[in-house]
Amino acid sequence: MAVTANPDSPLLEIEDLRMQYRTEQGPVNAVDGVNLEIRRNEALVVLGESGCGKSSLAKVLLRTLPRNAGRPSGQVRLDGRDVLALSEDRFRREVRWVRIALVMQAAMNALNPVVRVGEQVAEPLRIHRGWSRRAAMARAAEAFEEVGIAADFLQRYPHELSGGMRQRAVLAMALVTDPDLVILDEPTSALDVLTQASIMNVLKGIKRDRGTSFVLITHDVATSSELADRVALMYAGQVVEEAPAEAFFTAPAHPYSQMLMASVPRLRQEAAPVPIPGRPPSLQDPPAGCRFAARCPRRFERCADDPAVFHPDERHRVRCWLHDAGGTG
Amino acid sequence: MTESATGMRRGLGRDLRRLTVFTGKRLLALLVTVLIGVYLTIVIANMGGQVDDLRLAQIETTAAEAVRADPAFHDLPSEERNELIEEQVALEVDRLRLDEPFIWRSFDYLYQAMILDLGRAEEMHSDAGSREVYQIIVERLPATLLLFGTANLLVFFVAVFAALGLSRRYGSAMDQSVIGLAPSSAAPGWFYGIFLILLLAFIWPLFPTGGMVAVPPPEDGWAYAASVLRHMALPVLAMFISQIFISIYSWRTFFLIHSSEDYVEMARAKGLPDRLIEQRYILRPTLSPIVTSFLLMLIGLWSGAIILEQVFNWPGLGTLLFEAIGHRDTPVIIGSVVIFAYLLAITVFVLDFLYAILDPRVRIEGGRS
Repeated sequence: MAVTANPDSPLLEIEDLRMQYRTEQGPVNAVDGVNLEIRRNEALVVLGESGCGKSSLAKVLLRTLPRNAGRPSGQVRLDGRDVLALSEDRFRREVRWVRIALVMQAAMNALNPVVRVGEQVAEPLRIHRGWSRRAAMARAAEAFEEVGIAADFLQRYPHELSGGMRQRAVLAMALVTDPDLVILDEPTSALDVLTQASIMNVLKGIKRDRGTSFVLITHDVATSSELADRVALMYAGQVVEEAPAEAFFTAPAHPYSQMLMASVPRLRQEAAPVPIPGRPPSLQDPPAGCRFAARCPRRFERCADDPAVFHPDERHRVRCWLHDAGGTG
Repeated sequence: MTESATGMRRGLGRDLRRLTVFTGKRLLALLVTVLIGVYLTIVIANMGGQVDDLRLAQIETTAAEAVRADPAFHDLPSEERNELIEEQVALEVDRLRLDEPFIWRSFDYLYQAMILDLGRAEEMHSDAGSREVYQIIVERLPATLLLFGTANLLVFFVAVFAALGLSRRYGSAMDQSVIGLAPSSAAPGWFYGIFLILLLAFIWPLFPTGGMVAVPPPEDGWAYAASVLRHMALPVLAMFISQIFISIYSWRTFFLIHSSEDYVEMARAKGLPDRLIEQRYILRPTLSPIVTSFLLMLIGLWSGAIILEQVFNWPGLGTLLFEAIGHRDTPVIIGSVVIFAYLLAITVFVLDFLYAILDPRVRIEGGRS
């Protein structure tokens, strides 16, 4: 439906995106100047620990913010058009599930308990494309097969499905309108390892066959490495490092990335995992300068200033003074 | 396509079967509940059989009085008179089967109560002149159902839709004022009724002060209905005032809680229109608790019926019970309790049935156990 202009132009560009939650203790800067780019047929993993603002980022992109969220500032351009500026009604009709779909965190509860699963999966087709019930259900059945559930289950209620099946049903729901971008917010965090792996395989297959782009939001370094083309690491509301997956996992540039990698246990590695001491700063009143400085073993005088973004190589961006003109990486 | 059609049919068949099993089980359970309730009432009302002794004493006194008072027996020697008295007592004991143990008779009473053979009133009679307790009650029942049913339906629909609207405008001036008015429900309907009668029947005589229909009742059917409506206005309004704000307040809070469910957020992300989200994702999953609270409210209002009907001189069950207690007419009191038990059971059954239709999770539990 939308004019796919230049296949090389980015699908989604996020520029200086900021969003605050109003709380009784004052505003919380959950998303604090994020710049990101998602290309066509690319899987971007947004990595970060709890409370770093990665889920808020997903909520800003689909405008499913809770009541206490302030109006986001900055730009989110979808095919070059700023969708943040769209009216609520146009956003609902032109973006939600037509261009961008979502697989929720806690997908266990993402299905309406009193409506048959099939109805819920077929719903976007009926609303956005005006399809008949019959046609929409037939398409939903295809989507079910695609994610590995028998079409029979369309007639079931959510409580009659296992956790893994529900997660797959939610995934099928996101794919049913063939959106350009699917945002996956911790899609596998409540599932066992085997189910996680098989869902990751389904995602890989869809990316290959349909050219869909993914934003995978997770705290799980191991699963994220399965799908990732590129990785963006968030810390305290900001993106601190962004790199191609290969570079990120083998040679992380930011001290936080390096420590995060060292804190994850690995199968074929002798070294014991090293935890990162301390806690992330409060997003209410973030410290001046580098936000990771307090926990960083390599901090020096310059860390008192807000770090600029440096490019150790062409596609690698890092927000750390160590990388300023020949700093040691 | 055909595959999914058969799947659908299979799904429906399965649902129907579950619904039947579930309904059957609930009916049985309720029947047992009513049985126990009515039996307990019988045992308590007879004080576990001790009332029999009182009754026997009463029969003896009555028989002795009757024989003594009858001039025809004045000349008989006292022995023969005593014999006559004993004969009469024996007859009465035989009629009431007081010689049998209470426990046997209690089951007879239970059976009679369950088939609504409620016996004859001691003092009261129906407007049509019948002394059958059943007739007396049945005559009054429609008036009560009409009044309380109307008031409840009104409160229910107004409250649910107002609450949905408020939950969307959470924190607005309207929302704040409804919350502010919620304590008005601390006073019962009859309390507002007194003021309504004072204001709208005496100071500005817009409505009748009480009763159910004008005297004499209009001949024409429409005029009759209009007259009943005019008489209903104030009591319905009184109940409405006493229930509406707390209902809106609690349901609005309820909707607020439920509109932060993940599936509501998901529906919003899916780009569904607001109205559909409200109907399908907020109202639909919460319908069973809403219906519960509605029916519980209905049951709760029964207990207020006695006073409200008195205030508005409404010829319903509440007034009847009030009169029966005044006359110490035990059969009518017990009969009312039995009818009340049945009404309650029917309410609970309707509730269960609605639950099973509204919430698929209830159905599966009923089918599995």
